Amino acid sequence: MKPVYIAGAGMTKFGRADWSLIRLASEASRSALHHAALGEIPVDGVVVANMGAARVNKQTALGSALVDQLALYPAMAEAVENGPASGASAFKVGCQAIAAEMADVVLVTGVERMRVVNGLEGTDFVASLSHPEVEYIYGVTLPSLAGMFARLVMDRFGIERKHLAMVAIKNHSNATKNPYAHIQQAVTMEGILTAPEAIVNNPPIAEPLHMFDCCPVSDGAAAVVLVSEEVAAKLDGSTVRVAGIGQATDTHAVHEREDPTDLKAVRLASERAFAMAGLAPADVDVAELHDAFTILEIAESEAAGFFGRGEGHLALERGETALDGRLPINPSGGLKAKGHPVGATGVAQLVELTWQLRGEAEGRQVKAAKVAYACNFGGFGNNVVATVLRREAR
Amino acid sequence: MSDKVVGGKCSACGAVSYPRRAVCPKCRNETFENVSIEGEGTVLTYTDVYALAIDYETRYLRLAIVELDSGQRATGQLLADDPKLGMRIKTTIGVVRKPGEKPIMGLQFVPA
Repeated sequence: MKPVYIAGAGMTKFGRADWSLIRLASEASRSALHHAALGEIPVDGVVVANMGAARVNKQTALGSALVDQLALYPAMAEAVENGPASGASAFKVGCQAIAAEMADVVLVTGVERMRVVNGLEGTDFVASLSHPEVEYIYGVTLPSLAGMFARLVMDRFGIERKHLAMVAIKNHSNATKNPYAHIQQAVTMEGILTAPEAIVNNPPIAEPLHMFDCCPVSDGAAAVVLVSEEVAAKLDGSTVRVAGIGQATDTHAVHEREDPTDLKAVRLASERAFAMAGLAPADVDVAELHDAFTILEIAESEAAGFFGRGEGHLALERGETALDGRLPINPSGGLKAKGHPVGATGVAQLVELTWQLRGEAEGRQVKAAKVAYACNFGGFGNNVVATVLRREAR
Repeated sequence: MSDKVVGGKCSACGAVSYPRRAVCPKCRNETFENVSIEGEGTVLTYTDVYALAIDYETRYLRLAIVELDSGQRATGQLLADDPKLGMRIKTTIGVVRKPGEKPIMGLQFVPA
């Protein structure tokens, strides 16, 4: 593909928003556009990532709405919906437009405003991505799929609840250094697992997963500005290149997968992204994984190729994925603590990695990061987009 | 869906798809016969989920993925007091969701 660069990145603070859906999207977009400092160079296209606005906010055609808010007409515009992987899918669509020479500058903005509905309605809206005939009708929700996955994986590989807690503790700690994170509060092993009152602080959500194994429900938006090589050459800051993108799908119903503990789509998407980049998992300096549930960070760290099968929790235990470890995972706090406004998440991962590669991640900066990897996990692993970014010398 | 839950048995290679689909993933044939998803099997995994969707008034639901002796896997509601991985179950049909007035029937698993 023709080279594509990220010229700017921005986001809103995740959490509960008073702003409208489009206000959220436009604030993140303005921040990314200012960061890109395009000057007189026009935006040719806008891609909005969102999952639930049609149902939750009763608004559709978000691409057109954002173009109008930002007065970017007559830019091309559309919205992309791919469940929780909407963000990275929209990013892919933006890259394709530049690679196909249909655009030189594309704004990709992910947004979700899901706290306007109550918990039941919010959980149900996300559950609507499950198979309608063989999963959804039984009361399947995303936490339940994660709970069943966790029980199986933990049993097979000897992962204990303390390992899940270590993911939460690490990501909450990272989020205290991220002003954009939804939850900026450290948690301890005592508080969420070993103290007598831990069961009160940390009640079950989908056994064996408890509250601190699950991401919060967040509002928020994140945006990146993609540019062609020609435009990148005119901009001082645009040194982050989109080195590789891979996407893969798997069966809709989880029970149909030959080995339900194998995140096959993560594995295939990652292999494709690394092949396109001409890089290997060992080259990665920093990663953002889709830890909607703590068990997923461990399982994805293996499926992406960073650790062997059944070894992810051991690497975590040794501190290899900590902010000062060999491969820091989720320096932003991850979905677990930064938050998970569904359509914004995939873009927010790439915002964090862009900042990391540019050395702009402040208190959570990973030293000398040159290669970054993101996993945006859609469905319950049935549609995954992996992205590899690389900093280039300018 | 009423008194049974059905999958699609490929009329060319015999592979069973549950859920039914338009094309056989094994041989790409496009014709199927209905086959009932039922019988005895074992619990592959399960959870008690407290994060419920709409339409439920219980505090939690006990859900499971089971592997039937026919080799077929299915997701459903587990009606067992002391669930364990690998426990033997058999399928029954019951009300699994009630959106409004009309109940939806589906797979439930009880100890065999």
